[in-house]
Amino acid sequence: MGGPFVVTLREGFEAALILGIVYTYLQKIGAERQYHYVTRGGVLGVLASIALGVLVTVLSGPLLDLGPDVIGLGVIFVAVVVLTWHGYWMQQHARAVKGEVQRRIDEAQASHRLWIVGVLAFTGVFREGAETVLFLWGLMTQAASPSGWTSAAGAFLGLAMAATLGWGIFRSGRHISLQRFFAVTSVFLLFLAAGLFSTGVGRLEAMGFLPQTPTAWDTSFILDDHGFVGGFLNGLVGYRARPSVLEAGSYLFYLLVAGALLFGPRPSKPRSREPRGRIPAHAA
Amino acid sequence: MRRLVGLPLAALLALVLLIAGTAAAADTQIPLTIEKNQFQPSEVKVKANAPFVLVITNKNPKAAEFESKDLRVEKVVPAGKTVNVRIRALKPGTYAFFDDFNQQTTGRIVAE
Repeated sequence: MGGPFVVTLREGFEAALILGIVYTYLQKIGAERQYHYVTRGGVLGVLASIALGVLVTVLSGPLLDLGPDVIGLGVIFVAVVVLTWHGYWMQQHARAVKGEVQRRIDEAQASHRLWIVGVLAFTGVFREGAETVLFLWGLMTQAASPSGWTSAAGAFLGLAMAATLGWGIFRSGRHISLQRFFAVTSVFLLFLAAGLFSTGVGRLEAMGFLPQTPTAWDTSFILDDHGFVGGFLNGLVGYRARPSVLEAGSYLFYLLVAGALLFGPRPSKPRSREPRGRIPAHAA
Repeated sequence: MRRLVGLPLAALLALVLLIAGTAAAADTQIPLTIEKNQFQPSEVKVKANAPFVLVITNKNPKAAEFESKDLRVEKVVPAGKTVNVRIRALKPGTYAFFDDFNQQTTGRIVAE
């Protein structure tokens, strides 16, 4: 039971985190009416996962060999772009909202295309979704035997646990100030995207599209990225026990470039234009 | 939105064709079977510095995921299916792999 529990918890954790964050985000900017973007994105993610899971069991030949890899790569890089965009936008808003003032940001809905959060929800769910579907399906075919039953139960418990964590983020996120929420989550999403970017680059490297580089370091004897803690760190910030030079480099590269974009000096609209302490009427 | 979706799709398609083209090159095929929660053989010997194709057949009644941190490969192998995984040229050494859906199932590739 323990094994399947950990597998589904790990697979579901990232999706739950992202869903928890984007729901809280919409609630924070007073756009509860736009929840349907996230819900739709998540549901589409689940449906696409099931479809891909079924497709993979039906397909054979080159489509089975390459299809899932290519889709996986596509999802990774789309997720990186969407996360960066969203993180950038949130950071701009964290700056615009001064002090501990909680207020509705009406311009939010106009200046940030909210369907982006739907895409974010979709990629968050779909990324590990098909894999989880196949894993669960395999367990369910064996659920008739007593040991098979506990495995299947453990797997569903793992998913439920992940969902609970996502819900917990939503519940507790509501009490954090808007500014802090934006600041914290944009840092978190930055690391998450850096991990994804490095994973995508690593896949390209393994497939032979990028030159092969030696292993940068090996910390698997301290913290294996497939253990319980290491696995979570892997999902959260992209921790790798044995990255290649290219993977480690691309992680750093992304962090620097996106970090500069998010937290570097603002290119236009200098902050000094607004008197300190006053809340600009149209900060967005 | 349509443009945003269309562009990655076109890129994906190009990538598929590219990969399909490179995969068509005749590399050595090395069979690997997953049966009764074990890899057969559990130690795969390959020539170093030459790419090869792992032909993985899953004879278990449930899906497996061939995964290797060393090789940076993650590949679902549905029950009863055979999947080809192209592995690039390896330097001499040992490369561990396992079934991510059943982590007691492990094996390794020895390149020499």
